Amino acid sequence: MAKKTFQGRPMLSGKLEGKALVSKQPFNLTGSYLKNMFAGETKTAPCTDSANKELYEKDLKGAIICTPQTVGSTMGAGTIMMLSELGVGPQAFLFSSHIDSISAGGLIIDDVWNGKRVVTIDLLGDDFLKSVKTGDPIAIHEDGTVEVG
Amino acid sequence: MERRNFFKLLSMAWGAVILLPGRLLAQTEKAAAPASSGAPGTGADGTVKLPEYAKEMRDSDMLGLGPDGKPTGQKATFTGASKANAKAEEAMRHKMKLTKEEQAVLDGKDGEEKAKLMKILVAFGNTFGAEKLVDLGGAPHSNMFIGAEYMKSMIKMLDKCAKAGLKSYAPYTVNPRPYDVYNVQNNPKDMTMIYEGYKLQWDLDYVHVRLGAPDLNYRTCACYLDEIGNAPEPGTYVAWAESSAVNYGNSVLGIRTNRNGAGMDLIQAMLGKAPLFGLMTDEGRMAKWLVEVKTTKEPDWGAIGTAIGRKCVEDVPYVTGLDKYFKDGKVTADNLHLLKAMGSATASSGAVGLYHVEGVTPDAKQKGKKLLAKGYKTYVIDDKEQARIISTFPNLWPKKNADPTAAFIGCPHNTYYEVIKWGKLVTEALDKAGKKKAAIPVYMFMPNTVRARAIEEQGELVSKMKRAGMHATNMCSVSYGGMKGFSERVRGVTNSAKTRNYTSIRYFPDDVLVKIIVTGKIPKGA
Repeated sequence: MAKKTFQGRPMLSGKLEGKALVSKQPFNLTGSYLKNMFAGETKTAPCTDSANKELYEKDLKGAIICTPQTVGSTMGAGTIMMLSELGVGPQAFLFSSHIDSISAGGLIIDDVWNGKRVVTIDLLGDDFLKSVKTGDPIAIHEDGTVEVG
Repeated sequence: MERRNFFKLLSMAWGAVILLPGRLLAQTEKAAAPASSGAPGTGADGTVKLPEYAKEMRDSDMLGLGPDGKPTGQKATFTGASKANAKAEEAMRHKMKLTKEEQAVLDGKDGEEKAKLMKILVAFGNTFGAEKLVDLGGAPHSNMFIGAEYMKSMIKMLDKCAKAGLKSYAPYTVNPRPYDVYNVQNNPKDMTMIYEGYKLQWDLDYVHVRLGAPDLNYRTCACYLDEIGNAPEPGTYVAWAESSAVNYGNSVLGIRTNRNGAGMDLIQAMLGKAPLFGLMTDEGRMAKWLVEVKTTKEPDWGAIGTAIGRKCVEDVPYVTGLDKYFKDGKVTADNLHLLKAMGSATASSGAVGLYHVEGVTPDAKQKGKKLLAKGYKTYVIDDKEQARIISTFPNLWPKKNADPTAAFIGCPHNTYYEVIKWGKLVTEALDKAGKKKAAIPVYMFMPNTVRARAIEEQGELVSKMKRAGMHATNMCSVSYGGMKGFSERVRGVTNSAKTRNYTSIRYFPDDVLVKIIVTGKIPKGA
């Protein structure tokens, strides 16, 4: 596929390459990680959100999650911090919309307090989500540009 | 009265469930084979199994799922500011202006921990386009109430802050605990699950008391009740968490707070500052919806709240047609429960953090329809629309036609007026039916301070309520509805649209509920 470039805001900047894992519906921050939160799963991060047909049962560890925004519990910040402590969190969140305050809080707290960064780019626009598909090569740059393909 | 109590504490001292709706839960349950006990286990295929207690643990916020359990595509920043038109280029240039004092704290003047908290707050403020930091007044309210293991890292951070001597700028209120082993879950099975599921509850309570929370008698989601007393003056900047409290505070009290998540609430409390954006600003408090309530009778407050939440998601509504239910436009201890019921439903079916009621709430009294933003949209709720909304409330009981087994009254927590009202409604109906005891247990959710007042002022009625099987509890109703196997063993009925939104418990109007409580049967046609 032809390479496409999208400009987002580097809320937590970073440079990395990998493959996209796409959820066109808002990503449920807590409902997706129930096995890590309650079942003692520490090696992988199997998605437990059965309402999310795209991600259900896929391993979210180290993923570059491409989604509009997150939804779910106001305890979401705790989930983010737990995932990074276990070492099974995503590598990056790529949001087409503006980040929500729950995940923003958790990601910033973990970055500043624990020095653990999940690269986070938001405001990539609706076209980003229309273009990107699970498995597409992704290149994220420090300035918030994201290359797909 | 004891607004009084909390503020006594203020002067004495120094001068805070994974949200899975029933329909999703049912899917999750099918998807994950149960472990044989409450403890985590490993399945035959070597994969980790979810423990029983995890399958239905809930807490509260919008999930973006419709009544059919399918994604609606709804999104929210949970700040009251949809940011639908935000652009990356502009957003990345934004930087708040800090005062010299704030910069000094950031640079480490007050120690490493406080510097980190300030760095977090500044980054958070910049993310949402805050203009500056503002000093907080009144008292904070925290929703950090779940001592589950996944909160370990967050609790560790707060513990380190407490050890560094940091405290909230004022004594603060906290959401109810997620369980009650005295009055509700006083059986070995529930208690085992509680102690497996909430292993860090003690650690969390210990953090709270060191950071400035009062004793557990003050635990409630309705911190603004007279018997708690956390009701800051209109216009006061605060940093509250708990969707129903934020919603009530912004709307009815006229305070200014964003909808904060767990963690950010206490960071702001320890710094005594919040980034100024969203619902804290005049612009963010403008209404993007005109909601005209045109029901021919008093509306079903929970149903219209659900309707507003689904329609507005997180935008601010300006609601008309409700002033006639508030004498002289006054919100009093005897009628605040109406707005509490409506507001909490807007906050749980959507993510509404502020609503204006024409002729009633402070902003609306001051500015009227000038609060309507340019290009606002209109939504009419008439009898037909109210009935349509109620018709979307599914029956999630596994045995749909079986009889109910328990009633859940008061989410958010009951006011004193509601406790007495329900006490009289139920005991008088029992008297009329020639019965002494309700057909099903009735759990009355309230802070201990409200229970204490009821005992003191209405002792005879409270005794009669107790004999009738009405149990006072200071726990969180939604958390109880989220306990292990709840939907399989309890067929609940409730007066709370919020509880309905997050659990398998069914919602009924007050008069129908009283009949159910007396007879143990769902009336035909209800």
